[in-house]
Amino acid sequence: MLKAGFIGFGRMGITHFSILNNHPSVKITCVCDQSRTMLKILKKYLDITTYSDHKEMIEKEHLDFVVISTPSNSHAEIIRYALDHNLHIFTEKPLALTEKEGREIVDKIEGRNLVNQVGYVNRFNEVFMEAKNLVNTGIIGEVRSFCSEMYGATILKDAKNNWRGKKSAGGGCLYEFASHCIDLVLYFFGKPVQVKGSVLQSIYSSQVEDLVFSTFIYENGFSGTVMSNWSDESYRKPTNIFTIFGTKGKIIADKHAYKIYLREDIPNDYGFHQGWNTRHITDFAKPVRFYVRGNEFTRQLDYFVECVENGRQNNICNFYDGFVTDTVIEEISKDAARDLSSAFSINMNCDGSTGPGEKPSFWKRTFGFRREGHAS
Amino acid sequence: MLHKVIFGDNQFFGINHMSEEKAQALAERFWDRKAITDVIDIAYECGIRGFMLNTNQRAVEICDYFRDNKEKYPDMWFYASLPYAHKYANAVGEKGIFGAIKDTIMNNSGAGEIIGLLTKGGLSLFERDMIKVMELLVQIEMKIFRDLNVKVIFLQNIVTDLLLGFGVKDVFIAFSEYIKNGFNSEVGFVTMNMPKLADFLLGCGIENPIICSSINKAGYFMNPDQESYEITLKEKQFQPIAMSILASGAVKPTEAVEYVCGNLGIQSVVFGASSRGHILETKKLIEQYS
Repeated sequence: MLKAGFIGFGRMGITHFSILNNHPSVKITCVCDQSRTMLKILKKYLDITTYSDHKEMIEKEHLDFVVISTPSNSHAEIIRYALDHNLHIFTEKPLALTEKEGREIVDKIEGRNLVNQVGYVNRFNEVFMEAKNLVNTGIIGEVRSFCSEMYGATILKDAKNNWRGKKSAGGGCLYEFASHCIDLVLYFFGKPVQVKGSVLQSIYSSQVEDLVFSTFIYENGFSGTVMSNWSDESYRKPTNIFTIFGTKGKIIADKHAYKIYLREDIPNDYGFHQGWNTRHITDFAKPVRFYVRGNEFTRQLDYFVECVENGRQNNICNFYDGFVTDTVIEEISKDAARDLSSAFSINMNCDGSTGPGEKPSFWKRTFGFRREGHAS
Repeated sequence: MLHKVIFGDNQFFGINHMSEEKAQALAERFWDRKAITDVIDIAYECGIRGFMLNTNQRAVEICDYFRDNKEKYPDMWFYASLPYAHKYANAVGEKGIFGAIKDTIMNNSGAGEIIGLLTKGGLSLFERDMIKVMELLVQIEMKIFRDLNVKVIFLQNIVTDLLLGFGVKDVFIAFSEYIKNGFNSEVGFVTMNMPKLADFLLGCGIENPIICSSINKAGYFMNPDQESYEITLKEKQFQPIAMSILASGAVKPTEAVEYVCGNLGIQSVVFGASSRGHILETKKLIEQYS
């Protein structure tokens, strides 16, 4: 039986706990959280020890692994501490908030027999798994472009009192939403050589971006875009859409289904004909041990436990994968800041009305001009 | 006695497990309350008397309509399902878990209730009595069904399964007791893990529980596997209700009903449809095979 401890007990921590609490190979002995109320409730109803300090918990509990679901800015420190105590680690994304921190973690874990996984859950979604297999078979030819999108209604007003609405805590659409689109792209195509045209834009939030755009350029002649908006009420649930265009066809995938368009009738194992073909998740989904919120959530944790039990190395979504995603996120941030400063300077040259240090207006930031009659 | 045919509501609220596009098209079609009640009228004309309704924003106007027109639907029974989980999910993003729950209670309870909660000792309500919090939330959500006939009040699957994972018997027992005693309705649970839930509820001492779960020939949304469902249906004493019998379109209606009602002998089925032809066809099939 593997002894597990949970660090962070918000929305994701609760989901992970529910999934693992009845895993036949896992015994969850302790939970660490900053909310006194949460700890009191847990203590009242569950047979676990509660902590408000993860260091104390790790030192006292003699665990096999930890599940980290704390606000993003605390991941790196907790991971380092857990690694110092030889624990296997499942952490929610992102791995860390800076390249420096991420590199330290990756260096620290290298060569050690510890399973390490980041919660990029789309890699365990059956539609995306199937879409990746299809791309690998070459059925749509050579990939020339893609568009990886994620939309949802997570932030519909300024959430400045929650960590998701604070940049310093690792909140914002880039880390919380776009990271999933970016991870999907890396899962399919690896790291781009260049990131261009990035925009981080606010809709409702005062301290973080609600909208992310970026263009990824690859060496072998293809490119794609990442688009993410977590303030879009028209989506009932967080939704990923991944469109991949190749020389012989195209795939459009979301969590429920994919559509594939083939330019020619070529023999294949999937029964696809020329033109559009649709496959729904009902056609190939396999049930899971215990379902909470989606097959992929159970599949990613059961996979993690299986890796720990079998001492598997180089698991899917390991810290290195998470680190690469983090570096792309950082490049997008830098690129967006660069674009913003160039838009700012162009504007100064054009009308000369904006003094150095003045904050550019929404219109300037977005379109590079000042709207008539609109106050900066 | 549960209704043999219960008319589902997913199609009205842009929910389709197979296709986002289809879900959006349905949401657009049923933007107007009248478009929804027109379809419910057809189901009623076809002889259906059980109607599943999730407590979401749209359910308010639907319930208002049926309250205002009670004489038109004398033997209509609702199967209520709560909570409206997505509403909480969004609020949690902004305010955190306790903030979201607290806001809901504060915005929807009477002043007397709130004062009563605040003055009992120094502990916060959450620390003192989570069961009471649960009762208040149920009370708030059930307000929309006031003066309507409610046959069963279900705990919706996201919450049922999340709590099932935690395995806290007290919460399930308290919920069951509260529904039975406070609402003159039966209690039910929707789940994606029927075999596990059936075992658990019977272990809680909840007799002959009502469990609504996906049951279909394709094995879709049947966790951990179809075989466990078939065994549980045969061996455990509970009242099963089958939903997703068509597996979002993966199984043809005749085959679907033959499997669920014919082979497995299930006596109560939830299904959603939007046209007279489909409603009539499915209802006839269910009656024919059960």
